[in-house]
Order: sequence, then C-alpha cells, then structure tokens
Amino acid sequence: MENLLEMSSLFLQQLVNGITLGGVYALIAVGYTMVYGVIQLINFAHGEIYMFGAFLAFAMVTVFNVPFFMAAILSIIICACFGIVLDIIAYRPLRKAPRLAALITAIGMSLFLQNLALMIWGGEIQSYPREALPAFFYQEAIAFGDVTITWIQVFILLVTVIFMATLHFIIHRTAVGTAMRAISQDKTTAALMGINVNRVISFTFALGSGLGAVAGILVGLYYNAIFHMMGFIMGVKAFAAAVLGGIGSVPGAMLGGGLLGVAEALGAGYLSSAYRDGISYGVMILIILFKPSGLIGRSTTERV
Amino acid sequence: MKKLLILLVSIFFLTGSAWAKTIKIGVAGPFTGPLASFGEQLKIGATMKAAEVNAAGGINGNKVEPVFMDELCDPKEAATVGTKLANDKNISIVIGHLCSSSTLAALPIYRSAKLPAISPTSTNVSIGKMSPYYFRNVYRDDFQGLFLAQYIKKVKNFKKVAIFYEVNDYSMGLMSAFMKEALKLKINILGTEAYTNETTDFKPQLTKFKMMRPDAIFVPGYHPQALLIASQAASLGIKAKMFGADGLDNPTMLDNPDTDGLFVTTPFLVESAGPAAKSFIAKHRKDRGEDPGWMTANTYDAFGMAVQAIKAVGENRVKIRDYLAGINSKENGYDGVTGLTYFDGNGDCLKSAYVKEIKDGKWISAQQMQ
Repeated sequence: MENLLEMSSLFLQQLVNGITLGGVYALIAVGYTMVYGVIQLINFAHGEIYMFGAFLAFAMVTVFNVPFFMAAILSIIICACFGIVLDIIAYRPLRKAPRLAALITAIGMSLFLQNLALMIWGGEIQSYPREALPAFFYQEAIAFGDVTITWIQVFILLVTVIFMATLHFIIHRTAVGTAMRAISQDKTTAALMGINVNRVISFTFALGSGLGAVAGILVGLYYNAIFHMMGFIMGVKAFAAAVLGGIGSVPGAMLGGGLLGVAEALGAGYLSSAYRDGISYGVMILIILFKPSGLIGRSTTERV
Repeated sequence: MKKLLILLVSIFFLTGSAWAKTIKIGVAGPFTGPLASFGEQLKIGATMKAAEVNAAGGINGNKVEPVFMDELCDPKEAATVGTKLANDKNISIVIGHLCSSSTLAALPIYRSAKLPAISPTSTNVSIGKMSPYYFRNVYRDDFQGLFLAQYIKKVKNFKKVAIFYEVNDYSMGLMSAFMKEALKLKINILGTEAYTNETTDFKPQLTKFKMMRPDAIFVPGYHPQALLIASQAASLGIKAKMFGADGLDNPTMLDNPDTDGLFVTTPFLVESAGPAAKSFIAKHRKDRGEDPGWMTANTYDAFGMAVQAIKAVGENRVKIRDYLAGINSKENGYDGVTGLTYFDGNGDCLKSAYVKEIKDGKWISAQQMQ
C-alpha cells in the first residue's frame, strides 16, 4: 500500500514538473507559430530573444540592482522592441524573396545573437544570487506527502495562464488581432482592405518576442541557469512543440507545449534520463508521421 | 612623455636581447566556455611557473613561454587543437588537456606525431595505457572512486547512495570505479540517473531520487551542472547530502547556499601541502588574494617537469618522452608543490587524495581518512 502511495506521489511530482516545463514551452512556441502564421517564416532567432530576455533581466538585477519585477517588465519591453528591430533589419528586406532566403537569414541571426551574448556575458552558466530575488520564490507552496510544489512553479503556471488568456483576447477581440488573422489568411487582400501589413507584422513580432522574454525570465528563475546556448536548446524544443500542435495555430502551440513538457518529464522520470531529448523528439516525429498537420492544425490551417 | 618612451623602448630592447630564443610549451584546455574557470587555473599555474623559470634565467638562457590553446573541453575542438600543436615544429611538449574526453580525443594525434604530453588533470583510467607519449601527474579515477567509496563508508557511514552521472568519459569511469568498491563495502546503490552537459532541468531525475530516500547523492560530474543539481534538489525538498570528485572542486560552487555540506575529493589541499609548496601558496595568495586551486598546483608541477625535461635533453620530442619515462622511482621523482611525482610504466602516477567540504560559503579541509 505504501508502495502504491509512493508510486502515485512520484507520478504526481513528475506531472507537476512536466506541466511547469510545458507552460514555458508553450510561451515560446506561440512566438514561433504567430510569426509563421503571418509571414510563413520559421523565426529561428526566436530562441535567442528568449535568451536575451533572461540575460537582460539578470543583468539589470545583478549589475544595476533593479528590483526583480521591475527588471522583468523592462526586459519584456526591450525584447518586444528587439523583435520589431529584428524583423525590420533582417526579414523585411527579404519579404518578397524566396522563403529559403529568409530562413537562412533567420539561422544567421540566431548564430549572431548567440555569439553576441557569448561576447557580452561569457560562456559560463550564470545564476541569480539568492538575496536578489523575492524570498517567497524558494518556499514551498503546497506539500503533501512527497509531492512539493514551490511558489516559483505556481508563479510560472499563473503567469503562463494570464499571458495566454491575454493573447487569446488580443487575437480574437481587438482590431489588431483581427488584422493579424486577416493577414494570415491573405496578405494581399488584407492590404487592399486598408490594413497596414508591415505595422501588423511588427506588432506580431513584438508580441511573440515579449512572450519569449517572459519565458526566458521564468526559466532563468526556475532552473537558475542563464547561459548563451539556453535559447538554442529551448528554441528547438519549443519549435517542436509548435509543430506538434500544428504550426500556425496558437491553441495548437499551447497544447503542443504542454504535451511536450509532460512527455519529457515522464520520459526522463520513467524511461531513460540519458535519452530524454530523444524521447521528446520521438513524440514529435510520431505525430508528424501520423498527423502531418499537427494535433490541432487542419489542412487549411486557421493561422495566427 | 618622450623620456618615458625612450625608457620603455630601452627596457624592451634590454629584456628582449637578454634571451637567446624562446622555447614554447603548449598548454591546452577550456579557456572559454562553461568550464573556463577550470581553464583559468591551468593558465595561472603555467604562467606562474614560466615567470619563475624566466626570472631564474630561463631554460639554459632561453626564455620559456606557454602557448595557450582553447578547446572548450569539447572533444571535437580538442582534436583540432591537438593537430595544430602536433604540426607546430616549435612545440616539443604539451601540458593538457584538462577534461578526460578532450585528452582521449587528442591522444592518438600526439601518439602518431610522437609528441609527449602531461595532463595535470585528466583522471580517466584508460589514458595512460593507450599511449607511451601520455603522462599525468594526477591520480586515476579507479583510485579516486575507490577512495570515495571507502571514505563515505568509514568516515560518513552512508549506507544508501544514489548516483547522478554525466554522459562522458570522466563521469562514467569514476562512477564504475566507485560502484565496484561500493559493492565490496556493501554500500547500497539505490539507483543511477544520467544527464548531458546540455541539461539544465534535473528535476525529473531528482524527483526519483527523492522517493528512494538516499543518505547521499554522488555527482561524479563537473561543477556547472552540480551547482544546478544542488539548487534544484533543495527546491524539491531533498535533504540528502551531496558529494563528488575533483570535477566539483571549483570556487563557483560557493555561489549558492544550497551547496552547503557538499564534499569532494581533491589531489591538492593547501592545509595538507608539504614544505615545498609554502612559497608557491604564499605567492598565489599575494598575487590573487586567494588560495591556489588543485588544478593550478598540478599545472604548476606539470609545467615544471616539462621545463626540467627540456633543460636536460633539449627540444627533441622523443628524447623528452624518454626522459619523462625515466622518472620512474622515488629516488629520481620530481619534487613539486603537490608532493613527489614519478611515473609507472603507463605514464600514470600515484598521488594521495584529500577531502574538502563547503561550509558557510567556503571550501574548508574536511575530516581526512586515516
């Protein structure tokens, strides 16, 4: 009996870990999927914006002694602007070029930003000093039996849900959201209807990059590990999550992120921890094999 | 201003003209990247020894200069760096590499180029047997693993241990040596879990460990991951002690209060160092404001052995190898800051291990095994 109790609490704890991770994947995945929705570009530099989000907040907290929440908000705003600039510099000139050209530019930007971070912050893993963060982060929120949920996990889930709800509201209930959906269906017609396409694309980049920064800050807190390659690893996983849900579909990205997080935690917990990344990619490959458009995506995807 | 310039120029010419030529010694390790703070210790050790040798007149009137080659502890990079060093006719001996995986990657290249090398830090068991050109002045993991198992049994009296290892030559070699001895001593190994050097989320594996209720978790890896493991274990409410080996012996481990109580084996301990180390430790403290790390001490000695070899037989690669292989007994051993070093037939050596632990944000000498 005790054994059963232990097994179920192990499962519950892994589930909690997985859902937290999944929330973060989802936040990054929507950034990929929204940009893909409006301009059919896989923005490979998205992971690097996530990394810069984490680093900027970290730098403000440790170097300039900015209070954590203030630093987080500033970092999100800077990254949103950064997303717009990235689009204007790297992608806008190639809007009419073949899609492959923009894709290669995206990979180039990703490498450039990785190396920029390496130059600025060095290659070592950086961690927040404990006293720089609000104390409640490290306390247990809920503990029953062997299952522990820390405040930081609660915080991550809460933030994820709030931002996802806001995003849903923006896309479905505001003028700019309607414009985004219109562009994703037909860019030329949307322009003919008087929509300023470039401005809406900029807005999409800002939104996606802002959410990426949120994810970066949360992960920086959760694992207490900030380093220049964090965006690459997380970016690939979040991209997998977006594909899993159906690229171009926002609810799909949320679902894909959640599923991937849980699959990874359970895979590492029950199968083999040495091959955990393999497990999450394996799940993605299986889904693509049997449902190429992703879990929620339809063959004529409702994009954005 | 002009006077100063003339002075500087004349100093340059004076010092420049004092040396007949410059003898270069390759030093390979991770000088950037996640393990750069290990590489920094290598750099300090080699630079200190080179400065001392030059201050005392160099090698037979020639200036000695370490040439630092960065390989990030990445085996692929290590092979590239190894090829560069092997093809450089001015290099007659290499100090390095730092990580066992890198050393194993560069080893066949040096072997075929007949280039001798001394690793001050690579502890993987197989290195010595694989090449007559590889030497090391550090103990092997089979000794280190055995030592750790005996230590936790005799001093700490741990009965149940979980192992959290990294997928690389160093970590897996150390783990298997530890497990072999633990089996003999009837220490219960509850389970083993793995991670890679890209892992940042250790919670799924730690959650499993938590349910096993071990007395301690053995982390035979490197410090960047160990630091994250300690803080994530604390956030899961794991109370088990953590211990590791020389890979965790780094000042960065002190950044986080969750590492309190963690202990490691180390080849060099300031408190236990012999009289030969006194001036070395004092100089390091004066220059850098802290005690030297074990990698600094081992590199200092390895560089010293290289200098002694070149002094004796000149810059011929094969002759240097034969000279080093001849240092094979207590009588002609190299008496350095880490004690007496002499090689066995494989180029390995026997060195003592010490234990140090983290207490109140400082590395201190722990209770030693008698």
